[in-house]
Amino acid sequence: MTWLGISLVLIVMGGVSAAALSRRPALGEMLFRLLFGAGCLTGAALALAVLAGAAVPDASLPAAAPFGAWVFGLDSLSAVFLLAILSVGAACAFYGLTYLAHQRGHRAIGAAHLLLALLVTALALAVAARAAVPFLIAWEGMAVAAYFLVVLEHERPEVRRAGMIYVVATHVGTLTLFALFASWAAGTGDLSFAGLAAHPPFSTGRTGMLLVLALVAFGLKAGAVPFHFWLPEAHAAAPAHVSALMSGIVIKMGVYGLMRVVVLFGPPPPWWGWVVLALGACSGVLGVVWALAQHDIKRLLAFHSVENIGIILLGIGAGALGMAYGHPVIAVLGFAGAALHTFNHALFKSLLFLGAGSVIHATGTRDVDRLGGLARRMPITAAAFLIGAAAIVGLPPLNGFVSEWVVYQALLRGASTGDAMQVAGLAAAALALIGALALACFVKVVGALFLGTARDSVADAAREPARGMLRPQVGLAVACVVIGLSPIAVVPPALRVGSLVAGLPSGAAGGGLQIDAAAGPATVFALALAVGLLAAWTLRGAFGRRQRRLEAATWGCGYARPSPRMAYTASSFAAPLLGAFRSVAGVRPDHTPTTFATHVIDPVLDRAILPAWHGVRTAATRLRPIQRGGLSQYLLYVVAAVVTVLLYLLVAGRHP
Amino acid sequence: MTPEGLVALGIVGVTAPLVPGIAVKTKSLLTGRRGAPVLQLYYDLWKLIRKGTVYSRTTTWVFRAGPVVVLASLIVAALFLPLDGRGAPVAFAGDVVAFAGLVALGRFALVLAGLDTGSSFEGMGASREVTIASFAEPTLFLCFIALVLATGDLSLSGMLGTPLAAAWPRAGASLSLVGISLFVLLLAENSRVPVDDPATHLELTMIHEVIVLDHSGPDLALILYGSALKLTLFGVLVVSVFVPRAGLSGPAAVAVLLAGLAVVAVAVGVVESVMARLRLTRVPQLLVGAAALALFGIVLQVH
Amino acid sequence: MHGAAHLVLLLVVLSDLAILGTTRLSSCIRGLAAQGWLLGLLALLLAPRLSVHAVGLALGTVVVKAIVLPWFLSRAIREAAVRREIEPLVGFIASQLLGALAVALAFAIASRLPLPTVQHPLLVPVSLATLMIGFIVLTTRRKALTQVVGYLILENGIYLFGLTQTESVPFLIEVGVLLDVFVGVFIMGIVVFHINREFDSLDATRLTELTD
Repeated sequence: MTWLGISLVLIVMGGVSAAALSRRPALGEMLFRLLFGAGCLTGAALALAVLAGAAVPDASLPAAAPFGAWVFGLDSLSAVFLLAILSVGAACAFYGLTYLAHQRGHRAIGAAHLLLALLVTALALAVAARAAVPFLIAWEGMAVAAYFLVVLEHERPEVRRAGMIYVVATHVGTLTLFALFASWAAGTGDLSFAGLAAHPPFSTGRTGMLLVLALVAFGLKAGAVPFHFWLPEAHAAAPAHVSALMSGIVIKMGVYGLMRVVVLFGPPPPWWGWVVLALGACSGVLGVVWALAQHDIKRLLAFHSVENIGIILLGIGAGALGMAYGHPVIAVLGFAGAALHTFNHALFKSLLFLGAGSVIHATGTRDVDRLGGLARRMPITAAAFLIGAAAIVGLPPLNGFVSEWVVYQALLRGASTGDAMQVAGLAAAALALIGALALACFVKVVGALFLGTARDSVADAAREPARGMLRPQVGLAVACVVIGLSPIAVVPPALRVGSLVAGLPSGAAGGGLQIDAAAGPATVFALALAVGLLAAWTLRGAFGRRQRRLEAATWGCGYARPSPRMAYTASSFAAPLLGAFRSVAGVRPDHTPTTFATHVIDPVLDRAILPAWHGVRTAATRLRPIQRGGLSQYLLYVVAAVVTVLLYLLVAGRHP
Repeated sequence: MTPEGLVALGIVGVTAPLVPGIAVKTKSLLTGRRGAPVLQLYYDLWKLIRKGTVYSRTTTWVFRAGPVVVLASLIVAALFLPLDGRGAPVAFAGDVVAFAGLVALGRFALVLAGLDTGSSFEGMGASREVTIASFAEPTLFLCFIALVLATGDLSLSGMLGTPLAAAWPRAGASLSLVGISLFVLLLAENSRVPVDDPATHLELTMIHEVIVLDHSGPDLALILYGSALKLTLFGVLVVSVFVPRAGLSGPAAVAVLLAGLAVVAVAVGVVESVMARLRLTRVPQLLVGAAALALFGIVLQVH
Repeated sequence: MHGAAHLVLLLVVLSDLAILGTTRLSSCIRGLAAQGWLLGLLALLLAPRLSVHAVGLALGTVVVKAIVLPWFLSRAIREAAVRREIEPLVGFIASQLLGALAVALAFAIASRLPLPTVQHPLLVPVSLATLMIGFIVLTTRRKALTQVVGYLILENGIYLFGLTQTESVPFLIEVGVLLDVFVGVFIMGIVVFHINREFDSLDATRLTELTD
């Protein structure tokens, strides 16, 4: 644990030096790079060691801390999240240095770097906390740091609105967490995780309340439907590297929370598994359908986070059901798939957000309908983005495929169990629908941003960003490919995490499970596919050198004067699918004889929460007259309250 | 990875262009025409390989990579199919997911190559292709779930191999429904009538043909061979579900498979002769119908 | 015998799903006629022995359900010149999914019903599925004719359920077949009065216009 402390201190020092040396930015940034990088490397090495099987003893702060000792620890579940936090955190922080550089002078970017360092630290502390109080403090620190980063460009009204929605949503979540821990420990008063885990069995009602509270609190953080409403707003408003960190890591804390609750609670009742599975299927399908309807590239990517949280919840749901119905293999596979997909999604979603940031940086617009043809001007960004897109769609041989493969196995094995769990097998079809729709959506994005021709002049001046922004993208893309090519290296640690969450001895994942045996051939398959693709590409190139080649205009089917305006827009591309899903898409098509556009309404935010909010505000306005500001009036209120209480005691006839 | 398996793969690979040939011939004969020779696709491929290529100025490496990835992914997908009725060259638990993933990878590459030309026709074709695939893929997985239920195995070698033969007496009705559903998928995934008309002449009504408008020469040859191979792979799925060949010797199993593929090709031709192409908005309904069949197959087994 | 009945029962469900998925009224009616033949066959296959009563029942079923009613219905669509169900209340994809769910639900419920053993294990789930799908067609379509088709499917479901009780209540089925005659009169009403659009009075959505 000392090493984790050192790592976090280095990270914070990096942030402080960037903020303190804002007069000498070159030195400050160099120190930031050095210290932050060193901190992340230390912590990542520790996380890798834990994932490889090393045991780290818990560390406890002196017992003078309020509400019991502050315990910190690191098991494989924490380690997999820590690794994601530090690697993606480093990529985003380094990207941010270059991304924010042009705003130097009119914005306190040193403070932004410090906030990012604090956010990463809070995240790391949240996954390492082993008692409710430090967990809540880290959780709140993370929410506050993220809030300030979201509203970095606070001069834009939509950013302030997004920040407001975010801060309300996250605090509702935190309050729910308070309720969760308070009612969990109500009998014993022991707020350490060990104390929570050792709690005597609850009554059915208490169990239900605790698990629903956990679902609401962590579902809000994760952005699962119907708690997703804050997510696209906040992620679209933040600067690109902050969006990447939020979509890649911050929302995953909800996933971490759910898995930690399962660890502490033990086997949940079946209904909880079904609810999580259903939430997962809804989030997955609705997330991707809503993503299809978006034109703003960042909102689109944010909705894909909702979708991927859905996939992760499918894994957690399958795992919980496996525990509830007594199928340890399915339980391990479900949680392992969820953990691995969490990690993989952190990599490729941050990669996609960074790529989108580069595009926005180069063209100044986030509207996919106006862009196009950027693959010629920004080849490296385009290639990295393409890899991220193929990975998020779950195509072999990339990392998204590996984790979806594990989740699919959990669901398909569920189908052949012969008890109620069989119904869960149908979720595999939902996962297939999610995958196919995601493919449609990312074909749309890649096509609209990078391929074909631009429909607008904004793309004319675009060029590749500075190396400081390219390197993090390339690094993340390489990580996606490497994990995709080596299931044998990543599946066993994921299975260890899975068996930890499922409450099985870690040895159970080592030899006994069939899936371990499948990781080897799966690796061979991935490598063979990669080699086959490369070989085919090389052969085609060699063959192509001996043949005649011509360059010409795109065949316009006899039309002689094609113009870029004729290129198929992203809106048109998505229209048939949105038509098929119109009952859930919330899209209003808007067309005249010569134009076609679509407008998107978020069913939860625009139809439920904002009207309710306005209702509350109107009601609150009516109450305003009682607050006139006169002291005597307030004193009267106090006296009235005391008299009321006394009267109540008199009537009730009880003495305190 | 057995040598017999690879030989079987080679035989199926060489005969793949026959499958669309037989379908076209059937259609011609049924509509009273003589039709193109059954070997026409071989002539076309040989002609295209010797030609030069024309690339649009708009295109990038994505366009050039498209045909290569399409074919490579389909060949790797073929490695998972138990062609000799017992085991595939490559098999592991959950390789059904890899099979579906490879088909999706091929589609991803093909569609992006189409979008790379910037033509509105190819964008339209790409949009339709991914729309149809969005309904086809869940249906494919429903079929896989039914097969998992019948055989208890998570790899294609098991689902379509020995355990399937043992499951037929028990779950025959369900497996027939799955087979029919897979046949509908074959029509949809390979752009055949009633989903798409491979013989159409109007770009606005095309799906597959319009995506590959700009491919020429050897690139087009790769794509044409890739479509024939994809049709064959789905044909192998259909034949394997209806005719489990685990009891036969290797060569006999491959011979039965080839005969079955010919029957499937004739069936495709018959469907093309008796049906008109559906309106595009009707296509999802057809696939949902196929999904309902597969779901019914699942329900019958759970019952 | 058992295997043949199994096949026929599966085909009944498939005809349900087909009717649910088709837009063309003539295909709907063809599906209904096919279902009539299947039901007649089933009455024969499930009879404990080949008696005059069983043959008579089968013949009556086929004549009424597979020949007369479809003929009436086709005449009605010719007279009323309706070809397609244009805008159902629930889309075709959604109603097909609903139908698939109904089948799953029927099988799940049937395995939990406290029923004595019947002639065939699939009979009860198939009758429930047919009932539910008939109900879906009846409630989600706008055209009077499709609603009649829905009613007939619903009624076929009851007929199937009645088949389980032929031993104890032999009249049940005959009463069911008689009910069909009433429907025949009903369809003739459509023909005679040239009601070529929806029944205004039957369309529940219109009832809301009654408010003042």
